[in-house]
Amino acid sequence: MKIEVRYFASIRDRIGLDQEEVETPSGTSLGDLYDKLKETHEALGEWNSVLLAVNGEYMEPDQILSEGDVVAVFPPVSGG
Amino acid sequence: MMMIVVTKEDFSVDSVLNELRSREMGALVTFVGVVRGHSQGRDVDRIEIQVYEEMAKAQLKAIREEAMEKYGVEDVAIVHRYGSLKISENIMMIAVGAGHRSEGFEACRFILERIKESVPIWKKEITPEGDFWVEGEEHGRKG
Repeated sequence: MKIEVRYFASIRDRIGLDQEEVETPSGTSLGDLYDKLKETHEALGEWNSVLLAVNGEYMEPDQILSEGDVVAVFPPVSGG
Repeated sequence: MMMIVVTKEDFSVDSVLNELRSREMGALVTFVGVVRGHSQGRDVDRIEIQVYEEMAKAQLKAIREEAMEKYGVEDVAIVHRYGSLKISENIMMIAVGAGHRSEGFEACRFILERIKESVPIWKKEITPEGDFWVEGEEHGRKG
């Protein structure tokens, strides 16, 4: 299945990518996807803490993904 | 109604307050965040704010509703800017309309802290020594 991955802020700058489409087997969890992303983009290992959202909501790593989900990968926020 | 706004444009504090006013309110508590000219010992020339807009709007809406329920205030408006901002420009505004001051102050503080924890917005400081992303403390889900 196809998952759209979006990157923000320092992570976007470091890996040089706004977004990409990733092909994963059905039943893939958010944590599995993130492990796969870390293999592709080794720089992700430089962050002590990365936040993950699915379709605009924070989710736990055991969340099972569905075809067409939009996963966001970003560092701790600094708005306000 | 413009209760939650994420925008590149500057805003008028008066306009936001005027839209919020109602006869049940005895207090309008306002917080305005502005760009500081220094950070961590460095001068700052300007800042750039990036936002994950769809998610930020949804999070702000949820925080507004949570605050209204928790503190029993009449209404809440939140405006947050993104893009390139100069020193002393407005970054964001929270306006709480409450029956009385006490719940208004508490709700305003609560909303600000929740924004700093969970709304996907990031600041980058542009300084003579280079550009630096500001990263908050970790509050959300860990990857």
